[in-house]
Amino acid sequence: MADRVVLCIGTKKGLFVAESAKSRRTFSLRGPFGPGVAVYSALIDTRGTPRLYASSCNPFFGMKLLVSKDLGRKFKETKSAPTFPEGDGRAVANFWSLEPGNGKKEIWCGVEPAALFHSGDGGETWDMVPGISNHPHARQWQPGNGGLCLHTIVRSGNRMHLGISTGGHYLSEDGGQSFVPANTGVGAGFTPDPYPEFGQCVHKIVAPAAAPGRMYMQNHGGWAEWDGPGGRRPEIGVLRSDDYGHTWRSIAKGLPSDFGFPIAVHPHDPDTVYVVPLEPMTRTCPDGKPAVWRSENGGASWGRLAKGFPKRDSYFTVQRDALSVDELKTPALYLGTTTGQLWIGREGGEAWDCLFDSLPPIHCVKVAVA
Amino acid sequence: MIAIHVPDPLRVYCDGADELRVEAATVQAALTQLQQRYPAVYKNVCDETGTVRRHINLFINSALVRRPEGLQLPLSEGDTLLILPAVSGG
Repeated sequence: MADRVVLCIGTKKGLFVAESAKSRRTFSLRGPFGPGVAVYSALIDTRGTPRLYASSCNPFFGMKLLVSKDLGRKFKETKSAPTFPEGDGRAVANFWSLEPGNGKKEIWCGVEPAALFHSGDGGETWDMVPGISNHPHARQWQPGNGGLCLHTIVRSGNRMHLGISTGGHYLSEDGGQSFVPANTGVGAGFTPDPYPEFGQCVHKIVAPAAAPGRMYMQNHGGWAEWDGPGGRRPEIGVLRSDDYGHTWRSIAKGLPSDFGFPIAVHPHDPDTVYVVPLEPMTRTCPDGKPAVWRSENGGASWGRLAKGFPKRDSYFTVQRDALSVDELKTPALYLGTTTGQLWIGREGGEAWDCLFDSLPPIHCVKVAVA
Repeated sequence: MIAIHVPDPLRVYCDGADELRVEAATVQAALTQLQQRYPAVYKNVCDETGTVRRHINLFINSALVRRPEGLQLPLSEGDTLLILPAVSGG
């Protein structure tokens, strides 16, 4: 019976696992696993016996994938990890996303430099997915500040959405065999063409399961004052699609900044979406006052959720995978900061408590009831 | 025969051995032998393009192997090729 709330917290210095009863009053912490090595992606796979996966991309000895079959008490390396095939010429530099597939042991992994890998045996062996990894655009994508990374995989049946920085949003409707760029309405502030076919710096994409076709995107915003070719590009940072990502429109009006990294959606209400606006130059909390912003009407308007956060002098960053929502009836949000704090937003983000105050800088936070 | 010194973190990939013995006339040939006979160790030393990982240093006895040109340096009977993690981090 699934009666524990489990968090995977990927940090600069390894993976931590936190666990609580469903009340979520207190969490115990264990780790670091893969000590000293940065963890940018994690997956809590609750299909069958729960498995926890975490990337462990070691600057000395290369890329590893860790797996635990006992809810994060022990981890071991999988038999192999994603690597480019011989003669490809690219070398994997990081694992940025891990997502379950259709089959019970099927897993997808997005890597840096941007490419996609597939495992059919629970992560023990991997094959590169040529439809996107060798896409004609692939050698034209450029790295963003975090590297050229395939950081987001959103799946439903045979439909697969990929977020690439900076490549944009790519869509497959044949189970990952072929991909097309789907960036109509997705702006870029760093190219002469404000709406290129591809090459946008998409930061994160989510899709509520309860509203097929609906998607939300945190794009690289912060271009309201831009005065280069093509003119100003306000409000291109937070977007919505209602046609499976074929077209996108801005829902950024009302936010203090359209720049940010993560975006999350309520597990039961597709109209409720969360972002963490950041000041675009420093990429930290605007005016030193942290807040999560929530829309309860699909992006038509936004409200500030800051109860419990410091009221001033707080300048952290929340990275693209460091905001998660659990799936309990009244969900809680979990937010990790680059200053090593892990926050819980109880009652859907109404009240924030700091669960752990002094972890290493946090790259990703994943939650599941297991 | 030359000896390849295996650093502690990589011994788990070769049944705990701290030294592997191969026949090789150059550093590159030693790495090729490592790839063929001890692929799990090799993957930690070189990436999938065959490039020695950025934070790994190789030494012939006590002399640092500069890359990439140093990979063609000759090895002699009795030499030890040391694999050592570089001093780096933060």
